[in-house]
Amino acid sequence: MGRADRISGIFWLLFSAFISIESYRLGLGNLHQPGPGFIFFWTAIAMGTLSIAVFIRTWFGKRTGEGPIFGKENILKIILVLLSLFLYAFFMEALGFIPITLLLFIFLLGMIEKRRWVFTIFVSVAVTGISYLVFEIWLKSQLPKGILGFLRI
Amino acid sequence: MYCFFGVLIGTLVGVLPGLGPASAMAILLPATFKVEPVSSFIMLAGIYYGAMYGGSTTSILVNIPGEAASVVTCLDGHQMALKGRAGPALGMAAFSSFIAGTFAVIGLTLVGPPLAGMALKFGPPEYFSMMVVGILLLTYLSSGSMIKALIMAGFGLILSGVGMDTIGGEFRFTYGIRRLLDGIGIVPTVMGLFGISEVLMNLETEIRRDILTNRVKNLLPTLKDWADSIGSVIRGTILGFFLGIIPGGGAVIASFASYAIEKKVAKHPEEFGKGAIQGVAGPEAANNAAAGGAFIPLLTLGIPANPVVAVLLGALIIHGLQPGPMLLSKAPDVFWGTIVSMYIGNGMLLVLNLPLIPLWVQVLKVPYYLLYPLIILFCLVGSYSIENNSGDVVIMLVFGIVGYLMKKFRYEGAPLVLALVLGKMFETTLRQSLILSRGDFSIFVSRPISLAFLIVAVLLLITPIITQRKKLSTLEEQQEPN
Repeated sequence: MGRADRISGIFWLLFSAFISIESYRLGLGNLHQPGPGFIFFWTAIAMGTLSIAVFIRTWFGKRTGEGPIFGKENILKIILVLLSLFLYAFFMEALGFIPITLLLFIFLLGMIEKRRWVFTIFVSVAVTGISYLVFEIWLKSQLPKGILGFLRI
Repeated sequence: MYCFFGVLIGTLVGVLPGLGPASAMAILLPATFKVEPVSSFIMLAGIYYGAMYGGSTTSILVNIPGEAASVVTCLDGHQMALKGRAGPALGMAAFSSFIAGTFAVIGLTLVGPPLAGMALKFGPPEYFSMMVVGILLLTYLSSGSMIKALIMAGFGLILSGVGMDTIGGEFRFTYGIRRLLDGIGIVPTVMGLFGISEVLMNLETEIRRDILTNRVKNLLPTLKDWADSIGSVIRGTILGFFLGIIPGGGAVIASFASYAIEKKVAKHPEEFGKGAIQGVAGPEAANNAAAGGAFIPLLTLGIPANPVVAVLLGALIIHGLQPGPMLLSKAPDVFWGTIVSMYIGNGMLLVLNLPLIPLWVQVLKVPYYLLYPLIILFCLVGSYSIENNSGDVVIMLVFGIVGYLMKKFRYEGAPLVLALVLGKMFETTLRQSLILSRGDFSIFVSRPISLAFLIVAVLLLITPIITQRKKLSTLEEQQEPN
């Protein structure tokens, strides 16, 4: 984990520096009346010290064969899945639960998993319908209606 | 009825890899808003201890733990299954879970009320010192590096500060993002860190599942099996119960600790990893006893011992109840209702689990390309339903990426979540203590209960340094002759 620890050590050091500056700006107060930034300032200082320890330890630890941190094979798949999920989050209120879930499943099964289209559409419609019935009708979750709001279902 | 639904859903969640009890409870949380607090809490609690039962099924049959507390059960449980003894392994897992679960409920009945009475004497310094011990204990017991676990606890503490300062009223770390004004929710964070990140990891390395196709038979363990494992069940139960009570302990740590102890005390330790029934009985008892034990700090002190119980804490607060020493007097129906439901739930699980094993095997046959979109959908709906806000979905996805990166860089999620859960209380009690003492830190050592907690905290911090030194000196001694 040498390389990975060096990267993460630097990241946490920068993060703690940022938090300590921000906490200082919030106000540290004094011991009689600690301010809103008090605890986070000292937490960031402690984190910074620990991140230096993580970084330094990499020079003393045993170095066995270091593989790549991320596997190259499926990284594109992960990025595409994440992208589709963020798009889901951003458009779920505008489009509504039914259309966006249908689109998500068609994308995941048809494009990412490359399943046959008949199967993809059948499963997507079934999952969307059943999940709507379970969450909206049975469990009374208030799912976004979006463009189908006029149907009042 | 709610208890039945809870344990049934819990078992299903335990069976399905990638969907933990915390995520399942979070998904169903909004559905419980419209029912009585007692029923809601009983169902959510049922999911928790039901998942502990269900997790062992996948570990034994497929060698994939359904949830983290069943990781250890894979080692010997699956080996037993490969040798044609899947039945006794599953049976022993169910019986030891039942015994431990029942013991934990009896413990909760006996220890709960006096502890709640004692907790009324706790002031901010005692609460603060106890939380310090909880967070340090979790980092101490973490399977990886303690330094990294401490960094995660710090990160969680900082995240807990996002939103409004409860004492001064200022907004902190919000940067004009409206969704952050209320702080970072525990439920979307847990779902992202444990649910979404697990899916991402599994997408990277495809899960191979060798489901045993032959029928599972002879579920009842033999007399010899009982003779071999009864000691393990008792040890696992006691160990799990006490680890469950301590904040930061919990079912995962209890199961690992029990396995280590069983291997140490076994007459034939070489059989461990090759299908020793003690390796199933001990950890399964430990994780169930811990699940029950974790209710004690929640119901009596208002402190969640682990992230899963934190979701239960959230449920109580949403229903207008404040968990803690006053719960017993203000809402005795919730306190005693939960305890009674746990007795019934444990019985139900034993009756349900054994006959339903063939059904759970069928569930496991659902291919992963179908399973992961469903897990994702549960997480999306669950995080949205908390406050009907897509901002929570974004928070969950962000923490999904954070959790994935943490797994890649070998950082654990549990200390982060515990610190996030306890963070607000941690900060408030520290600031209140300092205001009380006019800035004098000796308030933490001048009160005996607080001092006792802090001594434990110092020991937890010092022990790894001493053991590290010892390791280094033995390493140097070994190298010297060369």
